Amino acid sequence: MPLIINDVYPKKLFREDGKRLDGRENNEIRPIKMKVGVISNADGSAYLEWGNNKIYAAVYGPREVHPHHLAKPDKGILRVFYRMATFSVFERKRPAPGRREKEISMIITDCLEPVLFLELYPGTAFEVFIEVMDADGGTRCASTTVAALALADAGVPMRSLVSAVAVGKIDGQLITDLSGIEDKAGEADLPCAITWFNEELSLLQFDGDMDLDELNESLANAKTALNEILQIQLKALKSKYTTILEEQEGGES
Amino acid sequence: MNIRRVISTIEKKYIIENLKKGERIDDRGLWEYRKMNIAHDIIASAEGSAEVTLGETRIMTGVKYDVGEPFPDIPDEGVCTIMAELLPLASPLFERGPPDEQSIELARVVDRGIRHADCIQTKKLCIQENKLVYILFVDMYVMNYAGNLIDAGGISALTALISSRIPEGELKDGNLEWTGKYLTGKDIVKELPLILTYGKIGDIIFLDPNLPEELVSEGRISISVTKDKIVSIQKSGPATFSIEEIQELTKRSMEIGKNIREKLNLWQYKVSND
Repeated sequence: MPLIINDVYPKKLFREDGKRLDGRENNEIRPIKMKVGVISNADGSAYLEWGNNKIYAAVYGPREVHPHHLAKPDKGILRVFYRMATFSVFERKRPAPGRREKEISMIITDCLEPVLFLELYPGTAFEVFIEVMDADGGTRCASTTVAALALADAGVPMRSLVSAVAVGKIDGQLITDLSGIEDKAGEADLPCAITWFNEELSLLQFDGDMDLDELNESLANAKTALNEILQIQLKALKSKYTTILEEQEGGES
Repeated sequence: MNIRRVISTIEKKYIIENLKKGERIDDRGLWEYRKMNIAHDIIASAEGSAEVTLGETRIMTGVKYDVGEPFPDIPDEGVCTIMAELLPLASPLFERGPPDEQSIELARVVDRGIRHADCIQTKKLCIQENKLVYILFVDMYVMNYAGNLIDAGGISALTALISSRIPEGELKDGNLEWTGKYLTGKDIVKELPLILTYGKIGDIIFLDPNLPEELVSEGRISISVTKDKIVSIQKSGPATFSIEEIQELTKRSMEIGKNIREKLNLWQYKVSND
């Protein structure tokens, strides 16, 4: 008889003062922190805190492909493995990868592939491992964002960075960056990612209901938020080198 | 980073020649740990959590719980299971897939250290005899592998348990009700077993092997100690140990264990119960 305290959803997703449950405005993203070079063994790595989400990504490659039959003679392959820690969610997740994790791994692979020059690496693989250590809504977008950052940290040639965010609808109002509760109890969830070299959407899912106007407005809201996220990514990438510079110059700055 | 399973002959020779002189490639003494850092209560979704770094080795551990029927032979005791995952993110030496021997050994050695040390007060994890007990899951994730996962894993599991906060339940008319209070690390943990792992090359033995040392070692031995007892030993790898060596290492483990226990002061990581 597995009985755990019920994960209850509130009836209303807005507070009396019109703000969201965590105090945000409709189009405000949660606080985001990013850092690169966090796993010394990896060729590239990044860590992301996005609200309560805590996610690590590590990149290995180009390296030999296992199993070998997956290798392509004319180009490299990208493999992304999205996994959640057993303790990252309210009810303990089973340790083995589930259907959800496999699907998300696939959509993130497809999302990131367009920015890589895989044709330059025939017969090899880039492997991106994403570990969600703490989850609170929007992990596929956060994972895509941190994976792109880890690839950049690995020095893998890229056409551009990739940024992702979810927009949606709760209690009839359009919002940006859904939290865990808003995702579960809301009416619509639209995770999307942008490849900046062509400014097109490379990851797009939608669940819920919106009319055409709402969908158009949501996509415009997403673009604004994606720009904010790109700036944080760029800052994280640059700060690795400014920190080294500060150490070299010995406190000049 | 260039990490390979096989260490070059020249590097191997260098490591061994230094060890013979009582020196380590990272400037430590033979019986010294690398620098250790502990963070606790870092995962909001987990009932308890810890992150331990030992040199470049890093392990994150979380505690989750469930309730279920007790085992028939111990009807008034809760259950604690320990799992370890060697994430492929942590090292090019780790592969994807179901748990392999190395991760099972890590989980089992940590589990045995804790199980035989009167560490977890399983009777406190009983909600009603024969009916309902807590099941604790202590899951260790290796985030960066640079040797000696066992000692770091043991401390991260202990710290996660100490920092945990589990809702207290009681059975009323066959239904589980939550009292609004919590069981904390202070209630469920008693003894603090520490695991000390030594590497062996030839007849040289040293504490806390780092990655190159671990890769050239012929074997290792892990000794778990409480403040006054040896609670578990695991020898692994093809190396053999003489009885005198075991006697010396167990004695040493008690001494080093005492120092580390004082230095780490793990009880500082307990959380309040309201």
